[in-house]
Amino acid sequence: MRNAFAYELMRIRTIRSTWWLSGLAVVVGVLISSLFALAVGLEFSRTGADDTDGLSAAVVTQLASTGVIPSLVGFLLAMIGIFAWGHEYRHGMIRASLTALNSRSSLWIAKYVVCAAWVAAVALVTMVLSGLVAMIFLQRYTNVFDTQAFGIIGRELVYVVILTWLGMAFTSVTRSQAFALVAVFLWPLLIESLIHGFFLLVPGLRDNEAVLRFLPFGAGTKLLDVFDEGHQVFGDPLSPLGGGIVFATVAVALMLASYLLFEERDA
Amino acid sequence: MALIEARGLGKTYAGKVAVHDLSFDVRPGTVTGFLGPNGSGKSTTMRLMLGLDHGNGGTRFDGLPFTSLREPMRHVGALLEAKPFHPTRKARSHLGMLAVANRIPLSRVDQVLDQLGLAEVARKKPKTFSLGMGQRLGLAAALLGDPHTLILDEPANGLDPQGIQWMRSLLRSLAAEGRSVFVSSHLLSEMALMADELVVIGRGSLIAAGPVADFVKSASHNAVLVRSPQAAELMAILAKRPDVTVARDHEELRITGVDATVIGDLAFEHEIRLHELATQVATLEEAFLEATSGSEEYQAHPTQSAGLG
Repeated sequence: MRNAFAYELMRIRTIRSTWWLSGLAVVVGVLISSLFALAVGLEFSRTGADDTDGLSAAVVTQLASTGVIPSLVGFLLAMIGIFAWGHEYRHGMIRASLTALNSRSSLWIAKYVVCAAWVAAVALVTMVLSGLVAMIFLQRYTNVFDTQAFGIIGRELVYVVILTWLGMAFTSVTRSQAFALVAVFLWPLLIESLIHGFFLLVPGLRDNEAVLRFLPFGAGTKLLDVFDEGHQVFGDPLSPLGGGIVFATVAVALMLASYLLFEERDA
Repeated sequence: MALIEARGLGKTYAGKVAVHDLSFDVRPGTVTGFLGPNGSGKSTTMRLMLGLDHGNGGTRFDGLPFTSLREPMRHVGALLEAKPFHPTRKARSHLGMLAVANRIPLSRVDQVLDQLGLAEVARKKPKTFSLGMGQRLGLAAALLGDPHTLILDEPANGLDPQGIQWMRSLLRSLAAEGRSVFVSSHLLSEMALMADELVVIGRGSLIAAGPVADFVKSASHNAVLVRSPQAAELMAILAKRPDVTVARDHEELRITGVDATVIGDLAFEHEIRLHELATQVATLEEAFLEATSGSEEYQAHPTQSAGLG
């Protein structure tokens, strides 16, 4: 197992895409938070800081905590996970990997663990840097690193890891990074929106609209949403814990399929 | 030193048999060539041996299956793909990654890069490499753990004549050190110079296994050519011997089943004048084509002129 971790750590460090995706996540994350903090700071300087509820969480998560937009940093970092499996199949590396590490389960575990650790570390750096830069504009009006910010940082780390694992599992199951990239972006943006549309417009389905809270990516956003938090775990809306459980359950199911297929298939 | 024992290897893809009940040994200290027409199951067999494909039977390396070997690259070096690396990971990083997975010191990476003539491009991305350089990097990976066994699928692909000669010397010297070298190639002339033993397959089944000399000897192209003004007399004498076949074209005879010495003695005893007595030895290519005749997966057919004019 130790050898598999060493292999994966070296693999992730020696590929250019890891660095440009990590760098992009940090730069884009800090830029969005800075622009948002600058705009809010200018507004506060004119009108006064009368409502700062949820502000620190929005700043460190690049507005993902508003429940309005998904975590951009999360999606960028999930691509590192997608490439972890994608490069194995796209460039025929899988056979080299399995002749260097002859235990499929060790390689499988190492990939998921190392990618999770990497994306969590980059996400943490992004959020902390975003908060620090935002302090320049908001320090006079609010404490950016308040209790809510620390809480949401933890939740965002969990979200990013689950999203990355979901992307990895997609890639491993389909053995196509192109398909996985499209699926991870289209599922929340198109497929779940389409299902919402059906339930809104088809009269017979409208009464059952509450079940849509269990759609995985929608549930995932509840993990980060600080404005519309449910009080019961699986109530309507889902609580952050409930959202996290639903999102993680789908990811774990896909990971299980990924593991079984990886063990079963020819390399 | 490791003996490779492949027993009952089998693989079926969607009902189509790719490899069927294939058993053979690869002995230490030898280069064993693996021959077969395109689509005969050579690559599948190599993947089965390394546990990369799931199928029937098993292969043992000194009594252990590949999946039970600790730090496998220290035991078995494999080259299975034409370019088995990520195009933008530097050559040295690629080998370093494989090295850490097998607790091989990184100093060994520089050693094999130097040995394979890749020291100058160690920090370059392989996407700029020619097919031959890619093969060298793949071979460097196979040699990284200083393994006692090498399994190489078409390692000469893309190499220039000098590269092929270099590879032949390398593999021969590795075998001379007592290693088991199992190598597939389409270059039959090269295999004739390099291999001590052969495993020949067709349509996934074993056709022949054993020393190259024995395989070549078994071909019907081996014959004795005789030219004599008394060809008819000699033919009549030889025809009485069991297992001897004689084909006559005027003064020329093509005789199989008996060697030149015996024919010479018979001619002398019967006072038959000979103008020529020569042994015709089949090439490996002729022996291979004869042995695998009809077992090609893909056959070309001559086209007829369509008379477009």
